[in-house]
Amino acid sequence: MQHVALTVFDKDLCRPFFDSLTELFHAHHHSTEQDPDGYENLLYRVYRPYTPEMLDTIDRWMGLGERTWRAETQREVLLSLYAIRYPDTLLIESLTDKARSDIRRLSAYLHFTHHTYSIWDEDTRKGLGRLGIDLPKMEEADPFVYGAYISSIELLKDVAPFTCFLEHDVPRQRLFQSALAAYGRED
Amino acid sequence: MTETEVVESYPTNFETWIEEFNDWQTRIGFDPSWLGDYRFDIKFDWDTAGNEIEFGDFKGMPKWDRRMQIPQQNIMDAIITMVSVQGDTEFASVEQQNHLLTTAPTEYDKKSAMRIMCEEQRHGWQMAYLLCTFFGEQGVREAAKLLERNAQEGTRILGSFNEPIDHWLDFFMFTHFIDRDGKYQLKMLSTSSFKPLAASMGPMLKEESFHLGTGANGLRRIVKQGVIPCALVQKYVNKWVSTGLDLFGTDDSASAQWAYVYGIKGRYDEREAAGAADREHLNEASRDLYFQELREEMERISKARKEGEPELYIPSDKFRREIGKYAGKNFTVEGEPFEGSDQEWREYLITILPTDEDEEKLVNDYMKKNWIQYREWKDN
Repeated sequence: MQHVALTVFDKDLCRPFFDSLTELFHAHHHSTEQDPDGYENLLYRVYRPYTPEMLDTIDRWMGLGERTWRAETQREVLLSLYAIRYPDTLLIESLTDKARSDIRRLSAYLHFTHHTYSIWDEDTRKGLGRLGIDLPKMEEADPFVYGAYISSIELLKDVAPFTCFLEHDVPRQRLFQSALAAYGRED
Repeated sequence: MTETEVVESYPTNFETWIEEFNDWQTRIGFDPSWLGDYRFDIKFDWDTAGNEIEFGDFKGMPKWDRRMQIPQQNIMDAIITMVSVQGDTEFASVEQQNHLLTTAPTEYDKKSAMRIMCEEQRHGWQMAYLLCTFFGEQGVREAAKLLERNAQEGTRILGSFNEPIDHWLDFFMFTHFIDRDGKYQLKMLSTSSFKPLAASMGPMLKEESFHLGTGANGLRRIVKQGVIPCALVQKYVNKWVSTGLDLFGTDDSASAQWAYVYGIKGRYDEREAAGAADREHLNEASRDLYFQELREEMERISKARKEGEPELYIPSDKFRREIGKYAGKNFTVEGEPFEGSDQEWREYLITILPTDEDEEKLVNDYMKKNWIQYREWKDN
């Protein structure tokens, strides 16, 4: 999947996206729904040792319902947050079904504990699609699809012109993911 | 749309310079092991550099790829000067900052500063590479001088880069105000008629954005934490703004005008600007944009302050200037002419700039507490 996403990469298709990346980022990240202050707080409030309360705070910012996880599932996920190393996503495969059941939730935990992992978002997936990077829809965490997702965002980061980077106060993965979400919604 | 070229093999001149660079690192106390697996790559972004000269008297002609294509010796000299000044600032900042690593307030700040120092050295490498590769003996001599001048001895070309950075508040001020000036200088060179210089700027600007982000976020974290009073933070703002403004050079600058005529250094917003450039006031135009940006950024930083703390502001662009039409004249931070005697001026400065007592209180009292909002270093 990762290879497919990267070998069909069309640079020309990306030009309009890069030209308006800053505006797209602001449209998404600084919208009321995205609660940019809440996001910024999480950048500071999530740190080792990770606790279930920190995951609750992430859930609240994401607008997700309460986790109905058994204590072992919670422990398993917290441990995986320590163990995982970017760009690995295969560790996700070793998680139990319940932990893998919601990619939005899991990717948000990964994002706020590592930053290099992007939050999975349907609009962002559509945004990637507009750039010729087609990824399947996903509810449950598939390590290969999510791997392709984060690699694609990383690739865009690498090839983007400097004008995309001049001023921002979020990790670059968030900058690109937010802009892609706004771009995906435009379609 | 861009693809970065990383140069794989170096000319002999530059290989020799690298040996001198290694000695320089040891001399200034920068332990190469701190670099980890970081490599000083030479990076070019040829796509964003453009193929045609974009402004000035050579507008529309192909950009110059090599020294022999540069039409006049004085243009070549001007390019060498610009590359040398840029390179000089890169190494100077590492000399100014590397002693701070042992007193970093958090691991996040230590690693951020380390990353900044690595990237500043890479930028210096890039400039030295241009000098050694494209400008023959003259370039090699100038590249050597980049490692001979020293910030701690006060021999760096620009004033701000000889200022001591004694503690982390100064570090955040420096990265916020002076690296922001760096962003302007790099962007002005990104449209240069000398293509290898223009192509160097894209990758450097990508890296520079992290540096000024570190400064802005650092200041916001300090203000948010509320341990260091805003009144004291304001004194450091007053100290650094004027030096940042001076970095844009003299008013009515003839050399800026010539650089524009030659097409080697454009306006900050050269590609976006609608009208023709006012060639006689190029430095002033860039400085005004920078000044406006400083004010907007300070509003954002100030919003984080605790209740009861005074609002932070950017002092007038007339205050404490050493270059330009306000140089040597006494203006208040509000921009009003100061009417008092020299003695009264000195007394006034004590109220608005950091004093020895302020430094003492900052380092030995406030900085002994949790003076900056904690942030964890993530593997990014």
